Amino acid sequence: MKPTGILFFPAFDWAISPTHPEREERLLYTRDQIFEEGIMDLPQIREYKPGLASLKDIARVHFCVPNVEAQITEAHLVSAGSALVMADAVMQGEVRNGFAIIRPPGHHAMTVAHGNRGFCNINNEAIMVEYLRQKYGLKRIAIVDTDVHHGDGTQEIFYHDPEVLFISFHQDGRTLYPGSGFMEEAGGPLAYGTTINIPLLPRTTDTGIHYVLDHLVMPILEEFKPDIIINSAGQDNHYSDPLANMAFSAQGYARLNETLAPDIAVLEGGYSVESALPYINMGIIMAMAGIDYSNLREPDYKPGRLKEPASNMERIYKIVDTQLNTFRRREEVIEKNRRSGQMFKTSHESIFYDTDYISESQRNELRLCPSCGGFRIINSSARHPNGREYNIACIQLPIYACPGCQEQARDAYTTMNSSDIYDLVYLQDRVKDEYRSTDTRSGEERIL
Amino acid sequence: MLIGIDVGGTFTDGVLFRDGQIVKSVKKATQEDNLKNSLLQVLDELLLAQDKEQIQRIVLSTTLVTNLLATGRGEKTALVMLPGYGLPHDSYELSGDIYFMKGAVDFRGREIEPLDKGEITELLNWIKDTGVKRIALAAKFANRNNVHEQMLKKRIMEECEGVHVSISSEISGKLNFPRRAATTYFTAMTISEWNRFVDQIEEALKLRGIKAEVQVLKADGGTMPLAASRTKPCETAFSGPAASTMGGSALTRDKLNSVVVDVGGTTTDLSLIISGEPLYASKGAVIEKQLTHVNSFAVRSIPLGGDSVITAQGVQPYRLGPAACFGGEKATVTDAFNIHLNLNLGNVAQSESQLKAIAEELQMDTPSLSARIVEEVSQKLLAEVNDMFRQWENEPAYKVWEVIHQRKFALDRVIGIGAAAPALVPALAALMQVESFVHEYSPVANALGAAVVRPTLSVMLHVDTQSKKYTLDPGGISGTLEKARNFQLDHARAMARQHLHIVGKELGMEDYTDDADFFLEEQFNMIRGWDRTGKLFEVGIQVAPGFIKEYEGVKI
Ligand SMILES: [Zn+2]
Ligand SMILES: [Zn+2]
Repeated sequence: MKPTGILFFPAFDWAISPTHPEREERLLYTRDQIFEEGIMDLPQIREYKPGLASLKDIARVHFCVPNVEAQITEAHLVSAGSALVMADAVMQGEVRNGFAIIRPPGHHAMTVAHGNRGFCNINNEAIMVEYLRQKYGLKRIAIVDTDVHHGDGTQEIFYHDPEVLFISFHQDGRTLYPGSGFMEEAGGPLAYGTTINIPLLPRTTDTGIHYVLDHLVMPILEEFKPDIIINSAGQDNHYSDPLANMAFSAQGYARLNETLAPDIAVLEGGYSVESALPYINMGIIMAMAGIDYSNLREPDYKPGRLKEPASNMERIYKIVDTQLNTFRRREEVIEKNRRSGQMFKTSHESIFYDTDYISESQRNELRLCPSCGGFRIINSSARHPNGREYNIACIQLPIYACPGCQEQARDAYTTMNSSDIYDLVYLQDRVKDEYRSTDTRSGEERIL
Repeated sequence: MLIGIDVGGTFTDGVLFRDGQIVKSVKKATQEDNLKNSLLQVLDELLLAQDKEQIQRIVLSTTLVTNLLATGRGEKTALVMLPGYGLPHDSYELSGDIYFMKGAVDFRGREIEPLDKGEITELLNWIKDTGVKRIALAAKFANRNNVHEQMLKKRIMEECEGVHVSISSEISGKLNFPRRAATTYFTAMTISEWNRFVDQIEEALKLRGIKAEVQVLKADGGTMPLAASRTKPCETAFSGPAASTMGGSALTRDKLNSVVVDVGGTTTDLSLIISGEPLYASKGAVIEKQLTHVNSFAVRSIPLGGDSVITAQGVQPYRLGPAACFGGEKATVTDAFNIHLNLNLGNVAQSESQLKAIAEELQMDTPSLSARIVEEVSQKLLAEVNDMFRQWENEPAYKVWEVIHQRKFALDRVIGIGAAAPALVPALAALMQVESFVHEYSPVANALGAAVVRPTLSVMLHVDTQSKKYTLDPGGISGTLEKARNFQLDHARAMARQHLHIVGKELGMEDYTDDADFFLEEQFNMIRGWDRTGKLFEVGIQVAPGFIKEYEGVKI
């Protein structure tokens, strides 16, 4: 059998700030544990070297303000690039699956990037998804976000994309950052039902999550038939995590990955650096490589200590019913939306960047296209920490866009370029794999 | 006068080196079942008509340990493992029956599970019942806290007479439990036979009235005193390839990027010298299919040598005697090079006639066949060399800095070593479009390398200021920090350097410990909540491979 690919990039020389949870020390004990176990020497494992993402790989997903370079550090290029290395290894058949244990994380980063949100600047999984579509022509992709925090960035990026199924289970947004991820958030008008949120009550244990997995996640995946399954693998559901209140164990995480059988797992959050991460990472590696993990446990783990409250299970049964229904009704709802008679569907958002203290306001317009998922225009404005105010227009043309959408989107870009309402106008043309941005004042255009 | 002797698998080479010149060299077939004799025969021939008083230093390189393990003649040893929690027990494939015990510590060296009293009694009874006299003990994270290993060792020594115990924390301080266990196990299996060998050598030298210092070559390209090798036999494994690489380096002594091509009769060994520094195997030496903590050069052995036989199907991975031009009965790689490059080796007519027979079978002429063989051999070696570069360039990296500054290897030169090097290496270098270096001493560069390399020593220190504990390798030393509060990287550096000087003095290598450099410097702040609660340091300092002070290069 083919080995499992591991790309371990702990970024031992990168931190958001010296005492921040995203600091050098985060994967130190994981390093100690997996190196001491000799994991990388096993015949079932093949270790990969980190790579660098290109600016174009990032522009394929994000509208970075004022440009890609301003939103990233070298560490981000390596982290995202490493996810791409893992993706290549899996797609080229060198490994049967792969786990990118990388920092910095990305699942809170949204389409428009003004700054850092929830420890994230750019979205590693989304960059990998668009890369996979572009390079390998993958059509249907499933992302299962197993971080305790709602993967609001990934959700927003694929909210209008009917070909990307995004499933997130997380601690209920009423009790935890970022305060979103409710069941009503089920996808845009033409992508309804391919965003599935599973908000769990605090203290949910392995029992609860495995019920959700067996009765909701797996049936949905079976019906969706994705070309690839990606685990956005946060580790902060652990009972010892300092930033959340859930009660998963390392064994629970291992079993989760055994059941889910992701093609690629990418590390997201998880801040119990000593008590959880070394053991969860081991568990995920072992499960993905088909190694018996029954001898793995945390030093303080007591079987039977973590009991699922009955009220949690009641809630879970309801979620399973509701969300199975949401998913199965998706085509019907989308058809209805499409025939609403509107040309464009407009919505407004305000987005807060907690790390950088930026408030962004957005106006979103989706073309209710009769023959595809439609294209999107985002108007965004925000004041950056340096005092500069940006008002930008972003046109996003998905890879599956129909000829009609392509023409309209490209025309819109040309028109907006010559107006002086916006500081910057972007065209993300995934059909041509070409990423344009124009500084309207200087008239200078950049093409990636 | 310096003497270097390399007891290899096929031949034993020895040189006598004085004033920048090889005064005498000896080559003898190795008697596989009596390495000591092979060694002494070569030594005696070197010493013929020499003034023994003039000999300053003898360095030996032998395959004894590798042979013992490969032929299953290692001493019967029980492996006792304390793997704690993690991988399943059946992932350790070191030995058919491993004795597993409870007891675990974590990466910070905290005990997370005590030893089980009942299990200890059972172990002691089991040792007495089976009568096993050698125990190798390995516990996970014993390099961070060896309390369980020490405790078990003490109990066994107290209660089982005549039983010897090797513990993993004294063998290596590096992370990687299976490698540490393997190294400990192989050490225990070979230690008494190796000591017997050392006894015999010491006695033989005494008998010959030789008072020179005697050193043993290690796989890392450095030496250690013969006496010090008594506790670390595994370090002597794979010293042969190290001798060749250091020989290539000794002949060139510059900062270029080279590949050292050691062409033997049936195999060719490749190793890399990057900016003048030999490249280490990132995963340690592989002994009996097990990765170990033995620090060794990255050597790739290819079943293709000067005597590899040629048939109509091409170059074969075996030898049936010497090349036709040197009296053999079959056409070989050397014969093809002889014809194609007009090397004028031995009896050219013999090369010609043996190749002609095969050429006729293939309905081609001899020059075309020779050209084809030369091409095949060169391409094969080239592919392997390129693969080695790629592997080096693709070594994992754990820091942003390392990834941004991508490794790129640009080869400057091919260094030919071994008897067949003059025939093969220039053609290979031409194909790679780099400089070729073949020296008059190339055929005995391995023994020369052994004669002139200096001792090496590596010290690693792990400090945890929160628990106020430190561990030092080599020796499996641990202790409590006196001034943990303001402990900084400079303090860690000073501690590591001090230990290097202490161990260096014990090894009689004071002359070299001042040349040591730090190869590893890690420091991490431990943050709990939003406060710093301690620091972790990992510091490594080493006397890297190099040459003794007396060596100033070769004079020709
Ligand atoms: Zn999280
Ligand atoms: Zn369309």
